[in-house]
This record gives sequence, structure tokens and C-alpha cells, in this order.
Amino acid sequence: MLELLRQYVSDYVTLTDEDFSILATKIMVRTFDKHVQLIQPGEVERHMNFVVKGLVRQYFYKGRTEVVTVLARERELVSASASFLSGEPSNYFVETLEPTTLLSLTREDLEDVYRQSPRVERVGRLMTTQFVLQKEEWEQGYMRMDTRERFIRFVEKDPGLIQRVPQKYLASYLNMKPETFSRLKHLLKKRPVPGR
Amino acid sequence: MSDSIGSYKASLEGLYRYLSRYVPLTRQEFSQLLPYIEIREFDKKVKVIDHGEIERYLNVIAWGLVRKYLPVKNREITIGLAAEGHIVHSELSFHYRIPSATVIETIEPTVFFSISYDSLQELYDRFPKAERLGRLLISDLYVRKDNRYFDQLLQSTRERFLQYVRTHPQMMQRVPQKYIASYLNIKPETFSRLKHLMRPGKVRASVTS
Repeated sequence: MLELLRQYVSDYVTLTDEDFSILATKIMVRTFDKHVQLIQPGEVERHMNFVVKGLVRQYFYKGRTEVVTVLARERELVSASASFLSGEPSNYFVETLEPTTLLSLTREDLEDVYRQSPRVERVGRLMTTQFVLQKEEWEQGYMRMDTRERFIRFVEKDPGLIQRVPQKYLASYLNMKPETFSRLKHLLKKRPVPGR
Repeated sequence: MSDSIGSYKASLEGLYRYLSRYVPLTRQEFSQLLPYIEIREFDKKVKVIDHGEIERYLNVIAWGLVRKYLPVKNREITIGLAAEGHIVHSELSFHYRIPSATVIETIEPTVFFSISYDSLQELYDRFPKAERLGRLLISDLYVRKDNRYFDQLLQSTRERFLQYVRTHPQMMQRVPQKYIASYLNIKPETFSRLKHLMRPGKVRASVTS
């Protein structure tokens, strides 16, 4: 499990064995059944999590409608990240969609690791940058693209997720009605996405 | 010219205070950062970075006002409005070294404290403290972005308008209305109508045209 994390981190910075072991001693392995809420609005997020196995979503309620803002799978980080970084209460729910195994670090432990290793701190900076860029990309896609373009971009980028995530959540994540999503999915079966 | 140098000193003092909010910096440490920083001046209505260009700089606004927008077909969607003390850059282009999808344009004559991509990497390598500063600045940027995005999704048009007016009274004076309307994702007509809410107690029965 730790090896998976090490591979992931090495995309950002090459850590020495010593750096990695400082990090590894603080890591907790947490396992959850499916449909377990890891955090609710109003709570402060204490953990940053790396998904070893499973699938997790972040969402909130707009009136009675759920709005899915993040879908995270293996080899991705997931957390109510704004709350984790700011220490303010979360606006979001974070919930497992499948039985899930996470490698988790608390905020205090992470701060502690940063103090011990500047290279781990660099990993922290680069991952936080990644959060910003993902959010920016999502926002731009949300505003620039029409429904069909959003759907196609998603399928091209993450072909596996469409099999695993319930359609209503995917539709919500892509900001479209479930009916529209079904229709688009049907079109893709007849005409595969170009370049695949 | 000596006038503007004097003004830069005041702005640099502002930059020092701004950075010190994230990480305590001595004057000496701050002066070590200065050689990496470029001062860039722009007239109003100038494109600082255009669609398709690669963003070379991360900028902190010393003074002035800019907007960031996405050109979409035949319109412009304003996605950022930034004034003194704010960070502005075309993030995806700067960090991934890809052509920018967004345009950054000055609204007023503007001065930036800018750091180039290469200088920033060098700074991170030379000064371990810069690593922490960078991390904390970026965390803050993310949290603000997330909050703005959440508000945008959750709030009604009226709520978005009221919150912005309450938290950004000076922007209401400085930014052309059509840009604020676009930023808040409110139609210009609706925006005009909502402006009566800015004067509580003064009931206006009708608006003459």
C-alpha cells in the first residue's frame, strides 16, 4: 500500500528513504464500507487521504438536490480539502461509494512532517497547487463547454469511472440532468469517442 | 520618476506585510527575495496575457485593477477581478506551461510585482522558507477559490449580489458594472435592478428611463 503512495509522490519530488519513512510513520490505514460518510458540513476536516482502493465523492445539497463536486478513485487524494487547509468547517459531505481503503494523515502530523523534511513540504506545495489547478480546470470546463463537450471530455479522461459511478452522481458531477446523461451515453455506444 | 520610486517603496512595504502574514520574514530575508521580483507597469485596457500565450509570470498587484476572462464564442466570461494585494496569473498556463485559455486585461493603469516561472523555481531551490511561503499562499488561494465556487453554486442571484456588495464595496465603485455582472453570473439587466438593494431604507417605487 505504501509503495503505491511512494510512486504517486515520486511524480512530484524524489524523496529519500529517510524522507519517506518520516512520512510513513505518521500514516494511518483506514478502511470503510460503501456509503459511509467520512465528514459532514459543519465538521472540520482532520484528514488528508490517499485512495488505495475504492471510490469517494464530495458533495453538498442545493435545496434538496445533491451537487457532486469531486469524484476520487485509486491513486488520488481526497478530503474536504478546503476545510483541511483552512481549519474552517466543511461546506461538503465526503462519502464512500465503494468499500474503500485510505492512507490518511492528520493535519497536525502533516505539519510535523513538513517541519522535519523540506522535500516533503515541497510535495505538499505541489499537491496543493494541483488542487488549485483541478478546480480551475473544472470551473473553466463548466463555463466554456456545452453539455455534450463536458460529457465527452469526462469519458476521454476517465473511461473507467463511467462503469463504476452511479449515473445520477455522474450526471450531477457533470452538471446535467440524468436524462441528458442517459441520452449521451447511448450516443457514445453507437459512435465511440474519437481517438479511443 | 522619483515620485513613482517613492510609491514603489510604499508598495514593497505592502508586499512585505502581505508575505509576512503567511511566514514571518526578517527584513534581510525579504531583501534577498527582491532581486527575483520584476516591476511591470501597464496602461489601462492592456492585455497582460492573451489567449494562446504561455503565462510567464505570477503577479501580485502593487496597485491598479485587472480582470481575468474566458473568451467564449462571441462573449467574454469574467472569472476574476483583482485589485491591490491580490495574486493574479493564468494558473493552468503558468504551472503546466501550456497556452492560456484566459485573458488578463487591466481595467486601470496597473503595476505588478512579478516573478517569472524560472525565477520562482530558483527561489524555491535556494530558500527553504520560500517553500513554506509558497505552500501557504497556494493553500489560501485554493480555499478562497473553493469558497467562491461554492457560493456561486449555492446562492441565489440576489444572495450573490448582496454578498459581493457587502464584502467588496470598493470594487463596486471601480469596476464597470458589466464585468461585475459577468463575474457574479448575473444578467446585466438583473444586476441593474438589484442595485436598488444597495440603498436600504430608500424605497424606490419606480425607475425612470
